Amino acid sequence: MTILDGKVPEGDVQEKWDKHRFKMKLVNPANRKKYTIIVVGTGLAGGSAAATLAEQGYNVKSFCVQDSPRRAHSIAAQGGINAAKNYKNDGDSVWRLFYDTVKGGDYRSREANVYRLAQVSNNIIDQCVAQGVPFAREYGGLLDNRSFGGAQVSRTFYARGQTGQQLLLGAYSAMNKMVDKKQIEVFARREMLGLVKIDGHARGIITRNLVTGEMEKHHGDAVLLCTGGYGNVFYLSTNAMNSNATAAWRCHKSGAYFANPCFTQIHPTCIPVSGEYQSKLTLMSESLRNHGRVWVPKKAGDKRAPNEIPEEDRDYYLERIYPSFGNLVPRDVASRNAKKVVDEGRGVGATGIAVYLDFGSAIERLGEDFIREKYGNLFAMYEKITNENPYKVPMKIYPAVHYTMGGLWVDYNLQTSIPGLFALGEANFSDHGANRLGASALMQGLADGYFVAPYTVANYLASTELSKADANHSAYDEEMQKVKSNIEKIKSIQGSTPVDHIHRDLGKIMWEYCGMSRNAEGLKKAITEIQQLKQKFWSDVKVPGDTNNLNQELEKAGRVADFLELGELMCKDALDRNESCGGHFREESQTEEGEAKRDDANFSYVAAWEYQGDNISEELLHKEPLEFKDVPLTQRSYK
Amino acid sequence: MAEKTISLKLKVWRQKDAKSEGGFEDYSLDSVSTDMSFLEMMDVLNDKLILEGKEPVNFDHDCREGICGMCSMVINGNPHGPQTATTTCQLHMRKFKDGDTIYIEPFRATAFPVVKDLVVDRSSFDRIQQAGGYISVNTGAAQDANAIPVPKPDADEAFEAATCIGCGACVASCKNASAMLFVSAKVSQYALLPQGQPERKDRAKKMLAKMEEEGFGACSNTGSCSAACPKEISLSTIARMNREIFK
Amino acid sequence: MKFSYLKSTIGKKQVMAVAGLLLAGFVLTHMLGNMLLFVGADMYNLYSYKLISNPLIYLAEAGLVAFFLSHIVMGIVLSIRNKSSRQKSYAVAASGEKKASWSSRFMIHQGMVIAVFVVLHLLTFKFADKQQTTVDGVVMDDLHQLVVDVFQSPVYVIGYVIAVGLLAFHLSHGVHSALSTLGFYSEEKKSKIECLSAIYGWVVGLGFMSQPIYVYLFY
Repeated sequence: MTILDGKVPEGDVQEKWDKHRFKMKLVNPANRKKYTIIVVGTGLAGGSAAATLAEQGYNVKSFCVQDSPRRAHSIAAQGGINAAKNYKNDGDSVWRLFYDTVKGGDYRSREANVYRLAQVSNNIIDQCVAQGVPFAREYGGLLDNRSFGGAQVSRTFYARGQTGQQLLLGAYSAMNKMVDKKQIEVFARREMLGLVKIDGHARGIITRNLVTGEMEKHHGDAVLLCTGGYGNVFYLSTNAMNSNATAAWRCHKSGAYFANPCFTQIHPTCIPVSGEYQSKLTLMSESLRNHGRVWVPKKAGDKRAPNEIPEEDRDYYLERIYPSFGNLVPRDVASRNAKKVVDEGRGVGATGIAVYLDFGSAIERLGEDFIREKYGNLFAMYEKITNENPYKVPMKIYPAVHYTMGGLWVDYNLQTSIPGLFALGEANFSDHGANRLGASALMQGLADGYFVAPYTVANYLASTELSKADANHSAYDEEMQKVKSNIEKIKSIQGSTPVDHIHRDLGKIMWEYCGMSRNAEGLKKAITEIQQLKQKFWSDVKVPGDTNNLNQELEKAGRVADFLELGELMCKDALDRNESCGGHFREESQTEEGEAKRDDANFSYVAAWEYQGDNISEELLHKEPLEFKDVPLTQRSYK
Repeated sequence: MAEKTISLKLKVWRQKDAKSEGGFEDYSLDSVSTDMSFLEMMDVLNDKLILEGKEPVNFDHDCREGICGMCSMVINGNPHGPQTATTTCQLHMRKFKDGDTIYIEPFRATAFPVVKDLVVDRSSFDRIQQAGGYISVNTGAAQDANAIPVPKPDADEAFEAATCIGCGACVASCKNASAMLFVSAKVSQYALLPQGQPERKDRAKKMLAKMEEEGFGACSNTGSCSAACPKEISLSTIARMNREIFK
Repeated sequence: MKFSYLKSTIGKKQVMAVAGLLLAGFVLTHMLGNMLLFVGADMYNLYSYKLISNPLIYLAEAGLVAFFLSHIVMGIVLSIRNKSSRQKSYAVAASGEKKASWSSRFMIHQGMVIAVFVVLHLLTFKFADKQQTTVDGVVMDDLHQLVVDVFQSPVYVIGYVIAVGLLAFHLSHGVHSALSTLGFYSEEKKSKIECLSAIYGWVVGLGFMSQPIYVYLFY
């Protein structure tokens, strides 16, 4: 084990980023065209980074698995994006956003990163408005805000329930502008399957053209990994079907440390599972908790229809337990409480695994039109899926895997432990600690891409002597050989189990033992079961079709193989972290009231794992100690 | 949500690759839960095909919540199926009856060549956007977000146009395989906002020229695009685009 | 990319729309003028004589020919282009709420029939040999007699009714489509414009239909 250096600049937290920006080296505008930067992923982080670097004059190669950069999963973010504009004059400030985010993350994030995030949050809103993002506005023509969980101010900018879509289309349009100027070359329907290092520096990637099956070598001077999170380890999550961890995991295998893999966010308001065939879960934006009230019947086994249960028989448990934050407690707290009431037998719906989110009193108070204006598309979405009208009948919701705070370990410059390899957005671990607050993912993705990486990548290029090389370098052949033999190995098995079956089994293990609540015994069991499942995969998986053609089963197989390893590492990390913090709830570590209890003396660090070969149990732990100078460590309380 | 099951006959378009000739294959599927989404029904079909040692049906899909625009498919002649304001992934089997025969085809347009089975290449849409579907503002160059108030009606209308998910159902449904609704949605979003004014004069022209170069047809105002649009983008965007030509 | 108005589909469509609207105006006046059939033979003949003997008629006819030709040429050019935009058609047609109206889907077909009809119509009425008659001491073509003679044939009456029926469909979609192409459209006025367009089409269509039927039944 080594102690990792996060390379946090000296000085007061308010000044760190400004001073650091001044100290960082620049690349002369005339020289920028000599550099090629590879950006993998085209979500908010990847799209914004690609556009900004291209604007600065670098050549950018942009890659995505979808058929167009516009389809990256950032598009599905609903609720909004935080910024410390204080347009509402309700006491917000950069400092408060910083404070809320560190506290909301249960003190497992890096203070300096979070401060920088809060600092640039305002620039993001300015930038997006200038791009033509149609944020919601008030009648005076100025921008509107709403509240989100974990905050007592209104700082969330939104575009109805489609904020992620609008921001992503903004970044996509910025990319398009640079494609038009020939500064960005887009490679769609490409999957990154390998990282190429030359003299220890990340220089290029191996991709598979998903349409032709062709393996391609792409060479550059730096690689930016903006490939999102790994929530699909759980099979059922709110992530898109193609969201995967393969690019990040292959980088991990090439030497990038993976930080806090067990920090996953279970989102409290999702549409419950309805059957075995279920392929994904649909999120209902957290913004709904602004006007919806969460409740279950007071008595276990109360099977009456919701509208027949009188007020006195209802338990608005969030309002009861957390009077000051009420329905707007952070996500981890809301999720855990939902699980608790369901475990008590007070769950609702056909499966008994759901709670009500009721708009009855809001509709009574503000009228149906008001609710329709605010949440119309979410209500329509809910009705399409469940065939129930949420204006009349309370929504049924239940927590589901939504976001992963863990990711590739990065220093303050967003550089991973491999020089030249940067990780942005959800793919890195840095800003959300053990729990992400609502409307902060969009903020972080765009902060990294528009305002952080463009500086730090330039600093890397200006201060690093890179050897002359191109895609003919032997390192490319070696990596390509590795990638090809992996595919051939998968194809050669021809067993009897479809990929999805194995993935679904992995998901069940993860949800059961490494989900909302975890304990040592369960985690050990999970590790054994995952290892067995991994064996089953490599001896019995069935992948039909060819390799030189579009083959979606083959794509899935490669991803599930990686999920199996990552899933095991998540359990190992969860087992190792014998404390509760944020979304990581270890039953062994709770307060008397059943709230998460941190162990700051022993676990105030980032756990960064180093790959040691196929056997995940041998991964090596490195620690980056976390210091909290500006947000004093306290037990989080939302009461 | 009383669960029911139905049996279906499927006629699915199978095509090995862009160059091959395609054709319909018949499949039958029993005990399909009516709570399933259409794509989950396709998953069940594929599971069955894999277990039978056959190659599963390739189809585009990603978010499965109606926002990414990846899923396509023409179901019984209707892009995204019979329900309005819906993507294929949001379509549920409760819209079908026991014993139904369902034809499943790819989006068909010269500008959307078939890649395989139900998967088509919609990169022509990207190229149209690249021709002018943006506001030229570099990162860092923006003024304060509240510096220019935007009247709420304009902001709301711009938002309505901006909800386009770029799925291509408008093209698939149009008898002329025209992309006018798609192009006009983007043109409208920017034409309605003060930020979009500096480049307004050329934007529509550039995007239109690209649309035509890509092989999309002309608009006949049949309205089928808007009827098929999962986001119900209004035909008024097309009328606006027609006016923009004179700007 | 260079933008050229007439090369663009919108430019072509706008030319087609303007010509189409002018033609729509023409068929309405033509139909209204023909209504004199119901008044009497002399009135009818006098009206057509006044019309034909006006020297401006040549200008008007030249204009009509130009509108027709530009409408037709643009229509054909656009249709060829549209045809090539989808080489393989669907196995099943759209249905339910996603199905477009019949008139909108078959504009070019209606147009072709109408074009053929216009030619036959001109040969039958404009370029045919006519008898002479005298009204108020002026010798003129007896167009009324010609009309009466022609519409004795049930085949011709049926053909005429079908053709003007198609014209009604053509106009019901054509008028509001042309307005939209020229930029006049709003979500709020959508149903109003579409409704007026249909009324326009059927007023013209039914008006034209009434004439041969009247002649066939009462002469």
